[in-house]
Amino acid sequence: MPIQYYIGLAATLFCIGITGVLIRRNAIIIFMCIELMLNAVNLLLVAFSKMHYATAFIRNANTTAGSDAQLFVFFIMVVAAAEVSVGLAIIVMMYRNTHSVDVNYLNRLKN
Amino acid sequence: MNAIILSAILGVIMMFSGIWVNNKATLRWIALAGLLVLLISNIAEMYGYRIWNVNVHNMLYFDRFGLLFNSVAIGSTFIFVALSGSDINRVGKYAAEYYTLIFFVLTGITIISVYTSLLMLFLGIEIMSIPLYILTGSDKRNLKSNEASLKYFLMGAFSTGLMLMGITLIYGATGSFSIEVLNNPAIAQGVSFLEITGMLFLLVSMAFKVSAAPFHFWTPDVYDGAPGVFTSFMATVVKAAAFIAFVKLFDARMSYSSAVVDWKMLLCILIIATLLIGNITAVFQQSVKRMLAYSSIAQAGFMLFAVFSMNEMAKEGIIFYAVSYSLATIGVFAVLLKMKDFTFEGYNGLAKSQPVLAFANTVFLLSLAGIPLTAGFFAKYFMLASVIQTGHYLWMVIVAVLFAAVSVYYYFRVIQAMYFKTGEGETENIHPGFKTGLIILTVIIILLGVAPNLIINFLYF
Amino acid sequence: MSITVVLFWFLTALALLSAIMVLLSKNPVHSVLWLIVVFFAISGHYILLNAQFLAIVNLIVYAGAIMVLFLFVIMLMNLNAETEPQKNTWLKLAGAISGGSLLLILVSVIRSATDMTGRTAQVGEGNIGLISNLGKALFSEYVVPFEISSVLFLSAMVGAVVIGKKD
Repeated sequence: MPIQYYIGLAATLFCIGITGVLIRRNAIIIFMCIELMLNAVNLLLVAFSKMHYATAFIRNANTTAGSDAQLFVFFIMVVAAAEVSVGLAIIVMMYRNTHSVDVNYLNRLKN
Repeated sequence: MNAIILSAILGVIMMFSGIWVNNKATLRWIALAGLLVLLISNIAEMYGYRIWNVNVHNMLYFDRFGLLFNSVAIGSTFIFVALSGSDINRVGKYAAEYYTLIFFVLTGITIISVYTSLLMLFLGIEIMSIPLYILTGSDKRNLKSNEASLKYFLMGAFSTGLMLMGITLIYGATGSFSIEVLNNPAIAQGVSFLEITGMLFLLVSMAFKVSAAPFHFWTPDVYDGAPGVFTSFMATVVKAAAFIAFVKLFDARMSYSSAVVDWKMLLCILIIATLLIGNITAVFQQSVKRMLAYSSIAQAGFMLFAVFSMNEMAKEGIIFYAVSYSLATIGVFAVLLKMKDFTFEGYNGLAKSQPVLAFANTVFLLSLAGIPLTAGFFAKYFMLASVIQTGHYLWMVIVAVLFAAVSVYYYFRVIQAMYFKTGEGETENIHPGFKTGLIILTVIIILLGVAPNLIINFLYF
Repeated sequence: MSITVVLFWFLTALALLSAIMVLLSKNPVHSVLWLIVVFFAISGHYILLNAQFLAIVNLIVYAGAIMVLFLFVIMLMNLNAETEPQKNTWLKLAGAISGGSLLLILVSVIRSATDMTGRTAQVGEGNIGLISNLGKALFSEYVVPFEISSVLFLSAMVGAVVIGKKD
């Protein structure tokens, strides 16, 4: 598959994620859109890893080029899991106090 | 490597000492002892003594610059815990956990000051930020603290997403996660557009992390809402560490792509916007805590000059700036936390009721404003001198000096309130040890203001 | 058209459609379910690229653990379409326009990145994505970041307890 298709797909998913962060007010949905952005990145990393592998494979059949990107994806998943546990704890803490997950609610607290 | 492993171990030790030690004052002494051990081990590493010999596979590189900054960060944290430890204990029930998280933040900081692989940058920034989200929200009943925590978390996660996209695009173009660009095939055939886009993504995400305008909007709310002690930590050590990561990243990657993108112009816009928004908004604040939040944005504008000029002087300057800014801000916050009222009126007549606090606070504020004979003067001097050395955009120096003059106004408002206005100047009970600590800090700041080489020489000898 | 190409376009369309549905669903539970569909589609892409380890981990960690956590929290708070806060139309439009312009910029970057033309991602073959190869790399070359990420988990654990525990 041409790499441009993968870059295009990942960029589109990434931008959908960013749009979601901008247009939704529910903190949980915003957080889910951030996860969507991370997944777009993961997909692109795997595609790039296979692209660099294919290039290196021609020169050396035993190459491990590209495995670093797949491990990077693994680390992104590790971090995402840790981030989710903390993030949801924070959202639940806020819900306990305000009974709302609306991020605009926060602006009313100002001053 | 000493500091990275030891800070993680010390974090675990703090966690377990929370089970057996019930006295919060004892916990603070344990934390101080731990920080001292950490500092000594890191200084030992600067002189070549390594406790562990770990094969890091070229992901970390322990150069003088990074190790010196580690010492600075650990030393500042030591002073921070020594001065404000009692306030950490007052935030909530979980004092041992707060110290644990501070040690884990230090693990992250010691990673991002020595990284050479973008993977380590990503992991380091996350290890640094995740404990901070929690420390920000540690005042659980307080709605402002909750708000600050959620805002910081969403902004942090969002900017991490941008950073990852940048890293991915750079990987796509070069096939490696190293920040070095030596064996880069792209140099032969011109710089790849993907790589440039990746660098722009990284620039935006780092601007988020160091709260440079126009990506600063989360900073005032977060710094204002978080418990004051942790604001002090976030605004000083953590922010300086983010700058070190920023400088390392662009030091390695900026020059060879400057034919395609005018980085200097982009950074120039960032700096001017940051100085403008930080200084002008700080003038109109009524709460000293919020004023300090905006002033930290303004100081970030000055630190960005190091990324802008990126020469030897800038690297010396950013370390010195980190020292002087961290020490002065920690001092100002330590005094602020002892006040009953965080507005400017709260400081009225402090010189009468607490002359030592008022004097020390004056020195810290003068240092932040950059008045000669304090460390802050040389910090600003190094930054501006490095810009003059590059020979481009010299008018920015004049603009920066003008904004420094504006900053004198709002720092002097506090001094004026302390000395020239009548009032109670109510404070909490002041421990004599706290006063001694403040005096020592004052002496350090004046000493560095007279002889800045005390720090900078460590870079070379 | 070979079966791979058909699968590629099918999974791409599925991922994009369900990603858009995540944004458009009024009910948060539906958003979570659509996001799980996105994750399955992305896992499908991983299998196409022969990254089997990541495909399974993606399903277990993302679709399994993380999304279940989200569902738990949403059900705990009893969120539904009625309680869902909505931004006003202008703000939504502004958000959509800024997201769209970023996409336009990225597309133009892809089109002008000449070093990417003619390069392909290897589909259906190549063994770097297999678990034995990744495991060897993870525990030799990447052992330092692997150990360091344990600090991350520890701090997340301490943090979740500090935040979540009732005083």
